[in-house]
Amino acid sequence: MIAAAWTVYLKELFDALRDRRTLLVVLLSSVAIGPVVLVLISQLVGGIEKRAEARVVVVHGIEHAPTLRNYLERQTFTVREAPAGYEQQIKDSRLGDPVLVVPAGFEADLARGKAPVLELLASAANPRSQSASGPVVRLLRGFNQEQATLRLAVRGVSPTALEALRIEERDLADPASRAAQLSTMVPFFVLMAVLYGALNAALDTTAGERERGSLEPLLMNPAPRLALVLGKWGAVASVAILIALLSCLSFLPGQWLLRSEALSAMFRFGIGEAATFVGLLLPLAGALAAVLMAIAIRCKTFKEAQANATVVMLGVSMLPLVTIFNQEGEAPWHLWVPALAQTTLMGRVLRGEALPWADVAVSAGMCVLLAVAAIAFVARTLRTAALK
Amino acid sequence: MIEVQQLSKRFTQGRGAKARSVLAVDGVSFTAADGRITGLLGPNGAGKTTTLRVAAALIDADAGRVQVDGIDVATRPTEALARMGVLSDARGLYPRLTARENIVYYGRLHGMSRADAAMRAETLARMLDMQPLLDRRTDGFSQGERMKTALARALVHDPANIVLDEPTNGLDVLATRSLRDTLRRLRDEQGKCIVFSTHIMQEVERLCDQVVVVSHGRTVAVGSVADLNAASGHAEFEETFVSLAFSAEDRRQARYAGGAA
Repeated sequence: MIAAAWTVYLKELFDALRDRRTLLVVLLSSVAIGPVVLVLISQLVGGIEKRAEARVVVVHGIEHAPTLRNYLERQTFTVREAPAGYEQQIKDSRLGDPVLVVPAGFEADLARGKAPVLELLASAANPRSQSASGPVVRLLRGFNQEQATLRLAVRGVSPTALEALRIEERDLADPASRAAQLSTMVPFFVLMAVLYGALNAALDTTAGERERGSLEPLLMNPAPRLALVLGKWGAVASVAILIALLSCLSFLPGQWLLRSEALSAMFRFGIGEAATFVGLLLPLAGALAAVLMAIAIRCKTFKEAQANATVVMLGVSMLPLVTIFNQEGEAPWHLWVPALAQTTLMGRVLRGEALPWADVAVSAGMCVLLAVAAIAFVARTLRTAALK
Repeated sequence: MIEVQQLSKRFTQGRGAKARSVLAVDGVSFTAADGRITGLLGPNGAGKTTTLRVAAALIDADAGRVQVDGIDVATRPTEALARMGVLSDARGLYPRLTARENIVYYGRLHGMSRADAAMRAETLARMLDMQPLLDRRTDGFSQGERMKTALARALVHDPANIVLDEPTNGLDVLATRSLRDTLRRLRDEQGKCIVFSTHIMQEVERLCDQVVVVSHGRTVAVGSVADLNAASGHAEFEETFVSLAFSAEDRRQARYAGGAA
């Protein structure tokens, strides 16, 4: 039994690794895409950080408002003259900052107590200018407040008379925690690598074998059916975990390219983390390999199996989104759902949190159960499948 | 030696209200002796493939039994399969493996050592005249090349009993001739028990020591070509076969269909 399973395992592994073209596509799509996305994210985060640290207000016509300029500079903001054609630049998203437009009679109106109008130009179609206009509005409210307080003080009225309450806003999200939110993408890519690694091999050893007409002769060998299925399953799971390993390792050089300091400080991903990831993914690779085989063995052609496997592909790619979009944080049931459990645990590894053995055991146990059920199903279906 | 006794098998097609029961094999019996070639001759749908699939432990029979060298296939399938080489209707190869790798893989599944399987692949390649094919990937093989590889794969463990399901399907004249020569040599030089199914009369006439005529799932006649001709009173085997395998009703319908066309 073991000898037969080993023979099948070696043959299937050898066969899968000879399928160079498919392997190359899988490698490119699952292994290279992660680091590429990581670098893109780092550029985005780097941009956000740069603007948050810059404290720049882009103004057109600041020469008409020395008082405002004085206020802005006291708040340690740098005033920058708006570039020519700034309206068009904002519309075309070439300018990421909102532009404050000061009218010519600003200073005189202010002195006479006539409220001058300031325009703040941003575009809803230009998200960067939109998100950066909030701080500028708050800055201008501060200026407004200061002027009003001075006028009341001149008339001998306490400024608190106009202030029933005070609001103090504190943004608890520093760039580092924003980066942590973005690095939840990493487990997702590693998970996809496992899935795509298993997909082709799983379909080829089942539906592919049926389509070629090689399953019937295979069953006429005096090898137990379970041995045949175990050998095939082992090979599929091995290919999946090999791709997952490569995918994890690809993030090691990938993170050297990180442009955001906060992101690279948060994204502590060394050999240790990569090894933990692979360890966590091992049971999942086994379960996914078995489930894909169970789906594909019912299909007569590779194409039909591909269409049927879409359900698994969709499920596994949607599940990690629960952790990304979930408002309530981690729930205990997450650990009972394969794929979601691994995403959750990998997230903990990235955040440097502890991995309790009980949690790892629950997630692995569910995968083992799923794999055993799917393997039993394939072994039971194999003979019927060979004849149809 | 392969003994088939009163084999019967019923299939259910479709599900629920549309389910239809088909009696594919209804009491097929024959004995194929060692050192002889036994032909299972019958029209399409006569139950030949089902009979051979039961013999190869791919399907369980509803009644009757098959014994290979005295081993019951239903109760001891692994031992029976170890004594049989089966070339089934489906003879898919692994396209990314070479012919040699395909053959050695089956040898390993039969429990042979890698060295023994490799040596056997060489021997079979000489016998089947396929040495130049051995190290080519089977992707792109012609029908004849595929058949040779599949046959070598089925014979890798040097089985005493050889079962072939319509082996000449899709082969050209030369490949068919070469297969006939191989089967004769296996019988004469190695004393193998060979059973093959076919619906082609010329093949049976040229090759078989014994013919088992199967029709509508039943064995309708057993004997040599000469015996069957003598018993039916026809000089040509084709006439003998038609009179044995088809009922008067079948023949009338075939004539009507031919006339209408």
